[in-house]
Amino acid sequence: MLNVLRRRLNIPPRDQWRATIAKIIDDRVRIITAGLSIRELRAVMRGDPPTEKPNPRYKVITTSFIAHLRPRYYPQAATWFTHTYRLGFFTTFLFIVEVITGVILMVYYIPFPDQAYESIKAIESNVFFGELLRDLHRLGAEGMVIFSWLHLLRTYFTGSYKGPRTFTWLTGVILLLITAWLSFTGYLLPWDQLAYWAVTVGTSITESGPVVGPALNLLMRGAPDIGTGGLLRFYLQHVILFPLLAILFISIHYYKVSREHSISLPALVEETQRTPDQKKEDNRRIDLIPDLLSHEVFLVSLGIFIMLAILFFRGFASPLETHANPQQTPLDTKAPWYFWWLQGLLKIDPAAIIENLVNPVFETFGLGFRLELSKLLNSKFIMGLIVPPALVLTLMAIPYIDRNPSRLARKRPFAIMWGVAWVFIVIALSFMGTPQFGIETPPATRIIQDLAPEEGEGALRAIPYEELQQGIYVVGEDYGPDLCPTLAYQPDPEGDVNNVVVGCPNLTAVFREFSEKLFAAEADGLLPDLNASLIVEQFQFNLARVTPHVEWTDPETGDAKTYEHTYFLHQDRPREE
Amino acid sequence: MKRVQLEIVLGTILVLLSAAIVIILGAREPQRLADYEVQQRAELIEFGASVFVTNCTRCHGTQAQGITGVAPSLRDENFFTRRLAEVGWQGSLEDYIVSVVTTGRQISTRPELYAGGGIPAMPTWSEKFGGPLRDDQIRAVAAFIMNFEPYALGQVATLEPLLPPVDESTPEGRGQAVFVQAGCAACHTISGISTGNIGPVLDGLASRAGDRVSGLTAEEYIRQSILDPSAYVVEGFADGIMPQTFGDTLTDEQINDLVAFLLTLQ
Repeated sequence: MLNVLRRRLNIPPRDQWRATIAKIIDDRVRIITAGLSIRELRAVMRGDPPTEKPNPRYKVITTSFIAHLRPRYYPQAATWFTHTYRLGFFTTFLFIVEVITGVILMVYYIPFPDQAYESIKAIESNVFFGELLRDLHRLGAEGMVIFSWLHLLRTYFTGSYKGPRTFTWLTGVILLLITAWLSFTGYLLPWDQLAYWAVTVGTSITESGPVVGPALNLLMRGAPDIGTGGLLRFYLQHVILFPLLAILFISIHYYKVSREHSISLPALVEETQRTPDQKKEDNRRIDLIPDLLSHEVFLVSLGIFIMLAILFFRGFASPLETHANPQQTPLDTKAPWYFWWLQGLLKIDPAAIIENLVNPVFETFGLGFRLELSKLLNSKFIMGLIVPPALVLTLMAIPYIDRNPSRLARKRPFAIMWGVAWVFIVIALSFMGTPQFGIETPPATRIIQDLAPEEGEGALRAIPYEELQQGIYVVGEDYGPDLCPTLAYQPDPEGDVNNVVVGCPNLTAVFREFSEKLFAAEADGLLPDLNASLIVEQFQFNLARVTPHVEWTDPETGDAKTYEHTYFLHQDRPREE
Repeated sequence: MKRVQLEIVLGTILVLLSAAIVIILGAREPQRLADYEVQQRAELIEFGASVFVTNCTRCHGTQAQGITGVAPSLRDENFFTRRLAEVGWQGSLEDYIVSVVTTGRQISTRPELYAGGGIPAMPTWSEKFGGPLRDDQIRAVAAFIMNFEPYALGQVATLEPLLPPVDESTPEGRGQAVFVQAGCAACHTISGISTGNIGPVLDGLASRAGDRVSGLTAEEYIRQSILDPSAYVVEGFADGIMPQTFGDTLTDEQINDLVAFLLTLQ
């Protein structure tokens, strides 16, 4: 009776249960892992050889979608660390970090000028891990720019763009442009002074273009100035259009590498004589499962750890300046650092350089003719709209320009020299693009700016609130070693009660620096008839007003000049340690 | 140890370390959020103070103390305790400030107190309605004014701001103090002392005051202009802007000092 039921219900005899259950579990596991049994999984984790034949690890690659994107194996020589430095891998890793953190940030961010800045503030003060997410996103973005450049340089110097990989190189250059544009569009979103002016300066380049320039500028900004429309355009490009393009081109780029040509072999392996033993080792298969995969998981955990450690030890913090103000151009307008080379390029005026070279020659021969190129050529147009696209096109065309078939560094000295030269040119241009180069600020303004920059903290804002003792401190008067000798306060009343500061060392130091810089400028003849003071007032019970005030006679015109700037300092303002 | 195993072990250690960092950061997070909130409020007040000083002091006084006949004090007890009931506002005082600054006030709620019956009372400040300020600036100004609350309710003492040094022993010195304290500075410019631009510039007043009205000496003209501003209005300025009440609010001695001070403006 029981046996009949057992047969009907297909229940195996008692002594076969274990095996049956094991088989059921094994079937389920094989479905999830696309072909690996439990035993096989164990072997994979231990780095043991496959347990079955045919190799079930290759079956995973044939059957599963994700693994199908991956190669079955790379030859051992292609995986040398000193050949790739895993730069492309880390670029992709950072892209994924950007996607994940970006999607979470999107939940809190409002792309509207009235609210954008405040939503960023709210992310920092009102969202659990909000600051961490924003820092990760920003750090990842800058890292991605660095790694994509390094990846390009590596590919260039190992000559990996040659032969069948010319198209891969082309998609790589496109990805570099997409990365740069993603960073640039993201730059505007916090809607602070830094963002607003960097993007205003950046987009103004298009304005100088012929015929379509103004229209192009309007298309990018959405209005003559960046406003609601401009912010929305940049936002949509940042979160939809360019991420999609990036995914598309990463797919093409990666497909070429993984399925079509594999990673290039080191030139050393391809073009020099290798012993049979070396050859055997070079061509040894490094399988995706488990070797490549475990290595990649390790790299990912390393990447995550490094990023978190940088943020944990405060090695990086995303800047957030004051609210964007179209009426007030900051003293130092600067592009993101990875565009400094472009800014440096814009400071070059080719027309003037040619004029200066050619005109003296004309004069010596008495031709009575002057070349006036500047009237014909707008330097912003040339350096902003002609040269950079030309450089990009050249970069794309490198595989077609460089017909030297060899990839060994010593057999392509010109290419290597060119590469090194360009690295130095870009560094030099970046240096020229930094705000300190070539822009002059009046001395009084610069001295006060140095004490309390428009953005960031500076020595003046770092003065503890307790030291802001009311008074007019006149430059040149002798106040003794300390401005407030009768003061004594506890910097940390809730913690270390015994820690008492006597006098106001920080205020005194700031006053001293202010005085010394002014005297130095006076000695240089920049500020004759100097009359200056540092005025400290109490404005509200927890708010002080500090006014550095400078009067002098203009050395050129003889006019009396005054410059002062007012700073409000609240008791609870964030003061950097 | 095989390479695969080594990488799995190292990766596991790194993941654990990363998790530790996240846990430590998470434990600190509530405190960090609270600190940031306080700091952001402090920065908002600082920003509001600078907006206030550039835009509002002309009518509300250099430190929001108000100017008789022009605009009320924003730091007295009345403002913080009774104002909302007076105008029938249901929300918070901070929202009330934001609302009034944003839209301005077409007609004064207390016309008897202000010159010209309080028309126009207060301009619109939001750029939405043609004013110069963005929304975030207006919210900052409101935060700054709200920061007067402990002072207005007598809980803390705010030191008076530093004025240009005054020699209190002479009538001219005392007069200069009166000039600032009575609110004259809000509307009139005297180089080095004030920057108001509602009334005429007073630089060089003493040298031209004697020629303004025939039959009046410089001293008599200045005194008349303070006590009865409508008797003679300088060309280019409207009648009824300057408060008529200085005769009541200032003592005779203060007026004498003030005239003495103004007579020094050659």
